[in-house]
Amino acid sequence: MQNVTVARPRLKRVNLGGLSTPIAFLLAMLIFAIFSPGHRFLDPRNLGAMAKLTPDMGVVALGVGMLMIAGEFDLSIASVLPFCSYIFTQFLIAGLDPFVAFVLVLPIGAAFGLINGLIVVRTGLPSFIITLSTMLFWRGLLYGVSHMMPISILPYVPSDSPLAHLLTGQIGPVPVQILWFLAFALILGLILHRNKFGNWVYATGSNQDAAIAMGINVSLVKVACYMLIGFLCAFAAVMQSVRLGSFAATQGIGFELKAIAAVVVGGTSLRGGVGSMLGIALGVFIIQIIENGLILMQVPVFGVETFIGIAVILFVVLNNLTNRQFASQSA
Amino acid sequence: MSATMDDVQSPGRDGSRSLLKMVGIHKWFGQVHALRGVDFEVTKGEVVGLVGDNGAGKSTLIKVASGYHRADEGQIFFEGQEVKIHSTKNTRDLGIETVYQEQALAPHLSIARNIFMGREPSTFLGFMDTETMNNRSMDALTGMGLKLRSPETMVSTLSGGQRQGVAIARALNFKAKLVILDEPTIALSVKEVQEVLDFVRGLKEKDIAVIYITHTLYHVYSVADRIVVMAHGKTLEDVPTRDTSVDELSDIIVKSTLGE
Repeated sequence: MQNVTVARPRLKRVNLGGLSTPIAFLLAMLIFAIFSPGHRFLDPRNLGAMAKLTPDMGVVALGVGMLMIAGEFDLSIASVLPFCSYIFTQFLIAGLDPFVAFVLVLPIGAAFGLINGLIVVRTGLPSFIITLSTMLFWRGLLYGVSHMMPISILPYVPSDSPLAHLLTGQIGPVPVQILWFLAFALILGLILHRNKFGNWVYATGSNQDAAIAMGINVSLVKVACYMLIGFLCAFAAVMQSVRLGSFAATQGIGFELKAIAAVVVGGTSLRGGVGSMLGIALGVFIIQIIENGLILMQVPVFGVETFIGIAVILFVVLNNLTNRQFASQSA
Repeated sequence: MSATMDDVQSPGRDGSRSLLKMVGIHKWFGQVHALRGVDFEVTKGEVVGLVGDNGAGKSTLIKVASGYHRADEGQIFFEGQEVKIHSTKNTRDLGIETVYQEQALAPHLSIARNIFMGREPSTFLGFMDTETMNNRSMDALTGMGLKLRSPETMVSTLSGGQRQGVAIARALNFKAKLVILDEPTIALSVKEVQEVLDFVRGLKEKDIAVIYITHTLYHVYSVADRIVVMAHGKTLEDVPTRDTSVDELSDIIVKSTLGE
């Protein structure tokens, strides 16, 4: 074949598509650092509070993001999380050691994910609809079995217990929750970007037919991602319950949309095939920063949701524009 | 009683060099009988053109050969042995590589990750050996005369011809015995078409068999040893290239479309 040389791209500018999320993160920090009353945004107590709250949704969002890169959605996290919390609570009431209860609930969470994954791959129906249905199903079941009554777990997992220290303690000034979040982000980032499974995730989301043609078991990839989300839901459920000292059937309400918002803000494409674990993690922080900053500025609750909605739209538009610009410059 | 290699008579082929033989292949998609007892064979180092109008069954046949679809009836032999093909992995393990019409590339992945998609060399716990992937990718592309800046270039930034080159390089990288090319010249420039045809001639010189599917009779006529015409899920003609002409082939295809 004759030599066909790609002309060196005229691109001297940086790939803005890859930088929009970090820039947004820094901008959000700066804006609220400057404009929050008394600059309270940067108060160590406020940062510490964010570090404790962010991982509840953040840990699950990491899995949701990986699944979205594979081209699917999971809305059921808003119900799986509180259901796992309920199961954990029942294990404690039954007399199980808190560590044992914690270890047992993790594969149960994965089983929730397995159910979602199998329904999605076997039916071939849109995962958005399937997981919306399972979200409603599990929520209804949970409300039924729990009678929507909160249950205190402090008698079983007091705040000075080993499990509480493991999941909600402090290492110096740093809440352990944020370290768990960063650890999960690092491990999942290594898998997504360096492991062949991660390549299969990207291939499945980018061009599923190509992935099948190349011998990738795309059903297995998707089911594995759903099981990962279930596992992370169980982990986050226990972490949240231990922090709150109780189970509540309303735990996790709204997480499904907030997680998707965080993932999209982090640069993941709704069509699949595009995204990064760093972007997802930053997207989680950005959503939390916006929420926290607006609350500090005493914006009404409805205003916070509205603003997050606007931010998501802006990010999607910005990511599309910068990705298109980079693609045309590189061609 | 299952058919053996000797039961299927095919003109002008040496059974000892038979590479792929498909016997009595049927495939249904619901009510649609896409392949109706097709017999098809290719020998080592042979270039077989597979032509026919839209809906003839060409793509379905090669997707059965590549493992993308499973035949509902029939037998497949590879190098004289009957094989059960359950997946594309089966066929790739046999040494059958397919360059699909859509190239089967993931646009958001790099060249190297596309070339090794599904067969990533890995070290501990499945972590990819990216250095090997990058080096072998560049070797595969250079071996085809393609010079691309970096194996980490995203495929979505490549031209149609370059993507075709990457898809073909992928097929060659894994020491294929049989390369299936599904419409390899679609959307290519005149120069790029010549490069693909030269490449096919190069494969033949290396004793690698090729199945070349196309609508463009002039292209396949210039490289194929034998041409098979399909229509309505059946084989209409199976003739050495030297015994036919482009006009004759075109006539057969048109008449089949008109139901003659």
